[in-house]
Amino acid sequence: MIERGDGPSSSVLGRALEHRSSRTLNEPRPALVETGFDGRPRQVNRQGVALVREEWRVVDRWWTEDPVSRRYFELVLESGENKVVYRDEECGTWFTQRA
Amino acid sequence: MIACLVIPSFELRAVLHDRPRLRLAPAALAPAPGSEPRLGPVTAAAEVAGVKPGMRLGEALATCPSLVLVERDPAAADQAWEGVLRRLEQGGFAVEPAGLGCLYLETRGVERLYGGVEPALKRALAAVGPAWDPRAGVAQRRFAALAAANVARPGQILIVSSERTRDFLAPLPLTLLPLEPERQEELAELGLRSLGELAGLPGAAVADRLGPDGRRAWSLARAEGEGGVAPRQPPSALLETLEFPEAVANELTLRRALGALLERLLARPERADGEPRKLALSARLVGGGSWRRTVTLREATADRSRLRAALGSKLAELPGPAKALRLELVELTSPGGRQLELVRPEGEDTRKRLREGLRQVRASAGTGAVCTVVEVAPWSRLPEQRAILVPRDG
Repeated sequence: MIERGDGPSSSVLGRALEHRSSRTLNEPRPALVETGFDGRPRQVNRQGVALVREEWRVVDRWWTEDPVSRRYFELVLESGENKVVYRDEECGTWFTQRA
Repeated sequence: MIACLVIPSFELRAVLHDRPRLRLAPAALAPAPGSEPRLGPVTAAAEVAGVKPGMRLGEALATCPSLVLVERDPAAADQAWEGVLRRLEQGGFAVEPAGLGCLYLETRGVERLYGGVEPALKRALAAVGPAWDPRAGVAQRRFAALAAANVARPGQILIVSSERTRDFLAPLPLTLLPLEPERQEELAELGLRSLGELAGLPGAAVADRLGPDGRRAWSLARAEGEGGVAPRQPPSALLETLEFPEAVANELTLRRALGALLERLLARPERADGEPRKLALSARLVGGGSWRRTVTLREATADRSRLRAALGSKLAELPGPAKALRLELVELTSPGGRQLELVRPEGEDTRKRLREGLRQVRASAGTGAVCTVVEVAPWSRLPEQRAILVPRDG
């Protein structure tokens, strides 16, 4: 299963800051992720995953009209690079992010 | 009025200065090492044989098998050019060099000295020397003066009056304009051949089609815009040379030689506490050519370690073993009135350098280029909401 992210979930703070020409740090970037049967990443941006070091969930702002539900994975790629990716459960797309 | 002096194919002429026989033979400046194999300027005999500047090497040799390729010698060319500029400055002309073989000067200051524009320019051409075949153009505008100098014959002074400028420019080719080759081709594809044809187009349409460069070229073709002449500060004549007993390619040895040259140069009494602002490092290569790099320091300094750091990295760019290394103090500043402190606050020097570095980044990349990380919600579980980048202006 290959999914591609189109854009991060909206951020109220981010939108508010655009007017001050400031930029957010650690903005999520769309990623091309291939997953296994258990939903864990097997390839990230066409690089194989050597190890899933950690997995956690972030559920926030569920009381608003802009809820956040993410499933994070901290990975080690076959190239030796450490990578954090998450699946946005609201829109079903993947992103990389420095967590 | 503004005068422009042009010496065509200056780099080739400088190399052939010591080889007068080759001047009459078909010869061309060899392509620069590592660049596209295209010829530099060529001699008149080579042109007669069908060889043109910018021609591919293979094509040129097929056209003229007796063509002699002359090794580039940038150090000799720079030295010869400096000699030309100094001779003019000694004659009272304040010159603004615009690359090898082209310079501008303001005639107003010397007209009364020599009794008019033409006698002054005659004096200038004589100062350059007839061996260089210089030619001069005089006009109210820089571009018109340059165009006139390019049209003039060797030794001729072509004066274009302000009312005749547009008529004079109209039939001249577009290749005189300072435009990229792609832009020149675009103009040719549009069917434009002369400056007059370009000048006759509506300015807005030219700007729309060719952008700011095209608009500037349009203004030049209409004899509009442009500033005056900004004469250079005559450089100091301080230089030191180190001849090696045998060719040296080892960077460590070259760095030591550079250190010795720096010591000798900074110890010269003529420097009189002046601090170098611009230096030139050159080498005579074992193959007969030369190599030269100019370094302009951000801040004038006589600190040996900083000068070594600024110049040492250039030595890695040497294309081959060197027979001699030369260091030249091109620009010296007078000793500055820097206020010394009895007790310098800790870290002040670092902060000052950091501020200067940030100022330079801002100047080159724009005001929003330097940012500060500001934590806004460090407790947030969403990483992108913990901190933001805010442009730092102060």
